[in-house]
Amino acid sequence: MRDLSIEFCGVKFPTPFLLSSSPVSNTAEMIARGFEKGFGGVSYKTLGGENTKIVHPSPRMRSYDYGGKKVIGVQNVEMTTDRPLKDNINDIKWLKKNFPKHAVIGSIMGFSKNEWRDLALTVEDAGVDMIELNFSCPHMSVEGSGMKVGQAFELVREFTRIVRETLKLPILAKLTSNVTDITEPALYAKEGGADGITAINTVRGLAGVGLDDFVPSLNVYGKGAISGYSGPGIKPIGLKCVVELAKKKELGLPISGCGGAETWMDAVEYLLCGASTIQMTTGVIRYGHRVVEDMCEGLSDYMDEKGFKGVKDIVGKALPNIHETSAFDVSRQGAASYDLDRCIGCGQCHIVCQDAGGQSLGWDSKKRRPIPDDEKCYSCMICSFVCPVGDPPVITFKDIKGKKPSIAAPIR
Amino acid sequence: MGKTLRKNNQLTSLFDMEEGYSLTQAVAEADRCLLCHDAPCSAACPAETDPGKFIRKLRLRNLKGAVRTIKENNILGGICAVVCPAGRLCEEKCSSTEIDRPINIGKLQRFLVEYGWQIGFNPLLKKPANGAKVAVVGSGPAGLACAAALSKEGCEVTVFESARKPGGVLRYGVPSFRLDGDFTDREIKDVAALGVKIECGSPVKGRGAVENLLKKGFKAVFVGAGLPAPYKLNIPGINLKNVTTATDFLKAARAGNREKISRLVKNKNVAIIGGGSVAMDAAGTCKALKAAKVYCIALESMRELPAYKDDWLMAVDNGIIIKPQCRVREITGKGGAAAGVKGVETVWKKPGSCLPSNAKDVPGTEFSLAAGAVIIAIGSGPDRGLAEMMPKVKLTGRGLIQVDKKTLATSAKGIYAGGDAARGPALVVDSVADGKKAAGSIIGFLKGAK
Repeated sequence: MRDLSIEFCGVKFPTPFLLSSSPVSNTAEMIARGFEKGFGGVSYKTLGGENTKIVHPSPRMRSYDYGGKKVIGVQNVEMTTDRPLKDNINDIKWLKKNFPKHAVIGSIMGFSKNEWRDLALTVEDAGVDMIELNFSCPHMSVEGSGMKVGQAFELVREFTRIVRETLKLPILAKLTSNVTDITEPALYAKEGGADGITAINTVRGLAGVGLDDFVPSLNVYGKGAISGYSGPGIKPIGLKCVVELAKKKELGLPISGCGGAETWMDAVEYLLCGASTIQMTTGVIRYGHRVVEDMCEGLSDYMDEKGFKGVKDIVGKALPNIHETSAFDVSRQGAASYDLDRCIGCGQCHIVCQDAGGQSLGWDSKKRRPIPDDEKCYSCMICSFVCPVGDPPVITFKDIKGKKPSIAAPIR
Repeated sequence: MGKTLRKNNQLTSLFDMEEGYSLTQAVAEADRCLLCHDAPCSAACPAETDPGKFIRKLRLRNLKGAVRTIKENNILGGICAVVCPAGRLCEEKCSSTEIDRPINIGKLQRFLVEYGWQIGFNPLLKKPANGAKVAVVGSGPAGLACAAALSKEGCEVTVFESARKPGGVLRYGVPSFRLDGDFTDREIKDVAALGVKIECGSPVKGRGAVENLLKKGFKAVFVGAGLPAPYKLNIPGINLKNVTTATDFLKAARAGNREKISRLVKNKNVAIIGGGSVAMDAAGTCKALKAAKVYCIALESMRELPAYKDDWLMAVDNGIIIKPQCRVREITGKGGAAAGVKGVETVWKKPGSCLPSNAKDVPGTEFSLAAGAVIIAIGSGPDRGLAEMMPKVKLTGRGLIQVDKKTLATSAKGIYAGGDAARGPALVVDSVADGKKAAGSIIGFLKGAK
């Protein structure tokens, strides 16, 4: 196994994989088992002010399934910790004592200015390596907290500044994607003194509604709510936010990527997009800590294959290839290409091309094969999405030299 | 590897080994896996293969890791995936059987091993040389598994094989349509890549030949000699022309004069005596060689048939007629060659035993079948030369090599044995398990001897 360590905001992480501040980082006992499997650090479950008692609704979570696929997303109403502060502090101390090489990040959320300061000092005393300021929980029942702070940029700056003035530890600001442009609050956090950004927290969503009782299916005794949605379904949003943050020159802060990573490939994508560490929760909810074994092994093999010496060498490698859409060279056009010798004749490509695509793909009903038309095809590629034959795919994109952009013909 | 997709279980030639999964198919199948805690499939493998882990790795797209999990544990992971009766082992224990059909673990394992070959990924690492030379007698599954495990530990291993090519029963006992030569060669290449020297055409024979290896600089010897001597049936007509054994027949189909073997059965009715998987293999081979009617005459009832269900189902799908609970009394001849068999239906005298001595003829059920060739498939026994090859090593009453079950040490110091030669007829995966176990004991022995 390769050395997977990486330095992030001046702290060394044995692996870039972190348990994020969530139900999966609720106790030292569960975190310790995660460390043994390969997590390099933890953002410990967010501690809130002791003056506000957190009582969680029941049930707390709901899986979002798609066909036979379970847990492509999770809607949850978890808030900050509901354990006594004393217990959490003891747990953090125990972790630092027993896993001195692993990084423990103290995630905090004050419900008043003083609480931000007090919590920061408390977790610093407990021996954390970093602080993460939770400006992003999308469903706090406490007025003016969580995501509400993350959407009020001056508060992001103010609370970050309070913590900055309180201690010297590296500070991460954990931001919400539920804003128009995530780089704005990030710049405010930087002004307040943040050393890095964690992005993203869960996205506000509604997993479903009961068809008989008309209550959302995260049904808390007859009531539902819009709340945080996570898992593989939000990975594209997480990647987007990481890219925006990484490409923002004025920001220039290291990023902890978060949102839907489950496999080593997801993790590498986060690294390529500019994240230095990857946090996860839903993957652990779906599979348990064992997912990280595969992330470590897969990342190590990937580094061997590509000749990367350290994890840091992967960070941001995709950024030069990510542009505004206006930068595309539209003078070059292609079409979907079909390896008809391997076609099995299901005809799904024809259906979707007719009903949702360029209406270019014909159908030979005797032979049960599609009839491509390179000129009419406008390369939306939806035919390839539904083609069941792989290894290699039957339908691929091909460049067609001199082809003009296709335009759908008017009705005759 | 240019395999064919076998439609409706139909055998079209001797060589159409079934196609394996593609990546897409493997991922779809892995998606069905329940990823059980303390996976029952993993506890069911005699050779400690861990499907629970390699399927999870595949599911989480850690493909190289999945190949590593298989091959580090079992150097013959590909071959086992192909020949193992998984339905009686890992797949039988699959939790998914409670709600659906089991996960096709065998095909997933085969896919991963072939995927590793395809991308040129070899996960096996070798420890630095420890200076100890070890000899392995026989290149069947037990011998190869032992050799690979010893080589990984840093031993200098030489395998002595009497046949022209390595593999033992894998090459000469299993028909190509189940496991072909290319596949076997490719997996043995992984053994050779660990530095194991395989010397083919080098039989260890003559008085004390095994023990003499210890005097020739080898610090230990592992004997995996298999069961090369087919049992014969003592009935009238057994010495007629066109009467052969399944062992000889399958070997000839793999490596002998294929035209001659084809002539033996082509357009003829063939009677196969036996109801085990080897009988089914012989029957399938007959069908692939264009035999007319093929009968498998078994003493057992269909429920008791020793053949694995997949094997006899494939036989039935290919038109082979299984005659259960029958006994052949005589092979009839014409002009010195087999012309048919005469037999009778039987019942058991007492329930619970499938021994021939427990079978009782049922009067009035006598039958005769026309058959131009007869193949005896009632099992095989150990090499009758074992006693001479290693006079200091104790054999059992059946002529098997007597070993300590925990260590697989024989009665002679430094000589270990495993696989069919020590345990009697068993699965390939049991032989692999023995090879690994013996290697562990040999490493311990070598350390003690220093």
